[in-house]
Amino acid sequence: MSALTGFGHFLPSGVLSNDALAAEFQVTPEWIVSVCGIETRRVVAPEETVSDLAERAARACLEDAGITADKLGAIIACTGTPHRLFPGVSAEVQKRLNAPGIPAFDLHLASVSGLFGLALADRMCQAWGPTLVVASETMTRALAQGPRAKETAILFGDGAGACLVTPNDGPLAIRDVRIASDGALSESLRLEFGSTLQMEGRTIILHAVRKLARAVAELLDKNQLQVDQIGLFLFHQANLRLLDRLMQELKIDSRQCFINLNKYGNTSSASWLIAASEAKAAGLLRSGMKVVIAAFGAGLSWGAALVEVG
Amino acid sequence: MALDEKIREALARVAKAPIPSDRDSSLFDTGVIDSFDLVDFVADLEKEFEIKVPDDDLHPSKFESLGKIAAYLKGQGAA
Repeated sequence: MSALTGFGHFLPSGVLSNDALAAEFQVTPEWIVSVCGIETRRVVAPEETVSDLAERAARACLEDAGITADKLGAIIACTGTPHRLFPGVSAEVQKRLNAPGIPAFDLHLASVSGLFGLALADRMCQAWGPTLVVASETMTRALAQGPRAKETAILFGDGAGACLVTPNDGPLAIRDVRIASDGALSESLRLEFGSTLQMEGRTIILHAVRKLARAVAELLDKNQLQVDQIGLFLFHQANLRLLDRLMQELKIDSRQCFINLNKYGNTSSASWLIAASEAKAAGLLRSGMKVVIAAFGAGLSWGAALVEVG
Repeated sequence: MALDEKIREALARVAKAPIPSDRDSSLFDTGVIDSFDLVDFVADLEKEFEIKVPDDDLHPSKFESLGKIAAYLKGQGAA
């Protein structure tokens, strides 16, 4: 048994409003809200790097968990927007935290990286000890590498989130994690070298809704749970209309679903970790509550996890 | 009821713009449905025609126009 013993997040101070995007793309702010539900996004400053965000989220997570970096057994960094091919963000985080001599590596699966990191950490921590999963994204910088399409420019924001997974039955016990990939549609979501994000929105949305709904339904079925027994759903914060469709498909009451997408936009791999960190800080993770986490990303890949608050 | 008519009825439940008379016009380019309407529309087709669109067939190109939808449904044995 392993557990989530801490969360942390960091959001850069720059704010990108719908007014600014509306002027750039000659649409109205209301149109942007109507298609994605996003009102503002956070943006990195020119001098900030994806590792800067990761470090801040990692430190906040360690503080929340009440442990120091020298107690870490492994570091998994999740990002679709590394500032170089290698060494990875994990190496930079490891150096800055001064946690040498433990395995540290990166995962590049876009929005689902954080959940895959959690799945790996759930197993890895049993062998290596407390495993830090930190997801950090500078999505706005990736979008700025070429002509911007409004369909993607309005969606994404920058930020980082982290969790610590420890090999014990702690305050947030990880009961089940299920992940899967299917490379058949891999081209429909990609970020090539020196290019902007390429996303076949219709294909992605069709598959995201179906696969996320199925992943959550299977997770609940395997654990003999009903939707109304779940206290909180922490979905990848992709698009409000997608979340609405998922809630409708799974018959989830909107009060069961944590949403911060309106403030931060889609922060890719970091989104559910930022949501989890905010939910914990707000006291929403109550004793006895069952929490479902679900995400979808590049590969295409998807998954869902069940956590129980002790 | 003819297949085309049943498709038009299902489409009318999610359509945001007039459904084109041309069977080859793109329902996306003409603003009839967007990405999220497509999710609802496919679910509606599955219910209406008692079929299950497998993951391998879950691609917008199969539902791009009235003609393509009809061809797909015929291939699935829908009457």
